Amino acid sequence: MTKKQETILRYVVISLVTIIYIFPFIWMISNSFMSEKNIFSVPPKFIPDLLFTNQAFDNYREVFTQYNFGRYTFNSVWVYTLAALGQIFVCSLAGFALAKMKFRGSGLVFSLLLLTLMIPVQVTIIPEYYIFMKLNWMDTYLPLIVPSFLAGGFGTFMLKEFFSQVPSALFDAGIIDGVNSYQMFSRIYMRQASGPIATLFIIAFMNNWNDLLRPMLYLSTRELYTVTVALSQFQNQYDVQWNLLLAGSVLSVLPLLLVFVFCQRYIIENTMNSGIKG
Amino acid sequence: MADITYKWHKSYTPWLFIFPTVLGLTVFRLIPIAWSFYLSFTDWNLLAKPTFIQLGNYKELLASEDFITILLNTLQFSVVYVIGSIVLGLALAVLINTKIKGISAFRAAIYLPVVTSAVAVGIVWNWILGPTYGIVNNLIEAIGITPPYWLGDPKLVLNTVASVQVWKMSGYYMIIFLAGLQNIPAETLESARVDGANHRQSFFGITLPMLSPTVFFVLTIAIIDSFKNFELIYSMTKGGPGNSSNTLVYDVYLNAFVYYRVGFASAIAYVLLIVVGLLTVANFYIRKHHTQPLD
Repeated sequence: MTKKQETILRYVVISLVTIIYIFPFIWMISNSFMSEKNIFSVPPKFIPDLLFTNQAFDNYREVFTQYNFGRYTFNSVWVYTLAALGQIFVCSLAGFALAKMKFRGSGLVFSLLLLTLMIPVQVTIIPEYYIFMKLNWMDTYLPLIVPSFLAGGFGTFMLKEFFSQVPSALFDAGIIDGVNSYQMFSRIYMRQASGPIATLFIIAFMNNWNDLLRPMLYLSTRELYTVTVALSQFQNQYDVQWNLLLAGSVLSVLPLLLVFVFCQRYIIENTMNSGIKG
Repeated sequence: MADITYKWHKSYTPWLFIFPTVLGLTVFRLIPIAWSFYLSFTDWNLLAKPTFIQLGNYKELLASEDFITILLNTLQFSVVYVIGSIVLGLALAVLINTKIKGISAFRAAIYLPVVTSAVAVGIVWNWILGPTYGIVNNLIEAIGITPPYWLGDPKLVLNTVASVQVWKMSGYYMIIFLAGLQNIPAETLESARVDGANHRQSFFGITLPMLSPTVFFVLTIAIIDSFKNFELIYSMTKGGPGNSSNTLVYDVYLNAFVYYRVGFASAIAYVLLIVVGLLTVANFYIRKHHTQPLD
């Protein structure tokens, strides 16, 4: 086989494999442009009947207005932006202390952080639920924000690794200038960290966006729903309309899809370097 | 030279920096873990005072056929997930480890399901695998075979859900394997080729042994991830039909927040913790005793 034939063969195999990963998304999008009659046809239709008519966005309009997905998307965006920003603040402080300061107990704190990362949330959710119930935080966003704010094991790990790799010349320069610990952190180390911080923001945001258990347990007022729990409740409805459900799925995936398209290099490179996806 | 006697931080400063993290670790992790342990010996409905019933919950669990099914389901899900993730992740990485044009677009496409919510993934696969209107079964029928009932057949449903989870996550393992592959020096593979090794020989003789640290890393992550299947099960089957796709994480949710048997649910959560712990310890043990350093 010549080099050229080998390349062509590889393209063919890679394309076939990629189709398996892309097809469900294509199917989701194409079916979301179908009328109810069109989507429930045997054998399935490939061309969406609404797409080239003036009713093309009818499903989306209905999901947006009648099912309030605009509101849910807005909720998810601001709540999880706040949670991710808080996580960055707390994790960078902890990561810096663990990387650069010597103190008793640092090894223990770090091991406990990593160890608890392995434990599925279902092990701790019952006491957590009780704590939030007693704090009267039910049906507020605090239970979605505070735990991810304070217990960011993977963010701390990632930033600790980063801070320990910052060249020591910068550290020495800070010592010569006589900086204190806060200046060392904010003026020297944080200025270097824009790459990992952007990555951490994206990963934290995505993980929270896709969370189902916490919003399902803690939010009961419909207007407060995040987009993921709204989609899940929509699916649970008796006699679900699949064309609308798939349009809702597209809407719930779309914001992350856009983030991913623009930031996929960050995300993938970070995974390659640290193995962490959250 | 930096003045080595200069102290750039006070002895309590690290604790100020790390305070929020330690607070979160204590309140949301350590206390709940200890508390769940206590609760697993009680009968509680979240509202009244918990009643201490000693080993009552655990005895009930061990005597329950449903629970044994759920425990075995959990292990089966893990086995399918771990093997699927490693085999598929490695195969994809080998396939994609090339510098042809447009490769990063293919790579991103395969990674796409990783960043998509399990709820949306569950919904679309439910639709694709549906019995009457699903595209997959219609295609199978078109070539004259009776299609299986992917999510309704109790013998099949768990493997179906586990396979969807493998599909969702394999892009992530692919990227980790890819990083491992790119760390293998090109000269090593080149010299093997010069010595007359074919593709298969150099893969099994050089690539795979040199990749063994990555394989163990992926094994560790995959084992931990294999238990995190609540969202997909909730959106695809709700544990059904019967208990045939129910797993420990889903059963904790069911007992705690649907049936309000919180003490009983805590006992299930502790069984889950023990299973995760044992598998992780076993994995580290194997890594310590059965891998030789390469240099």
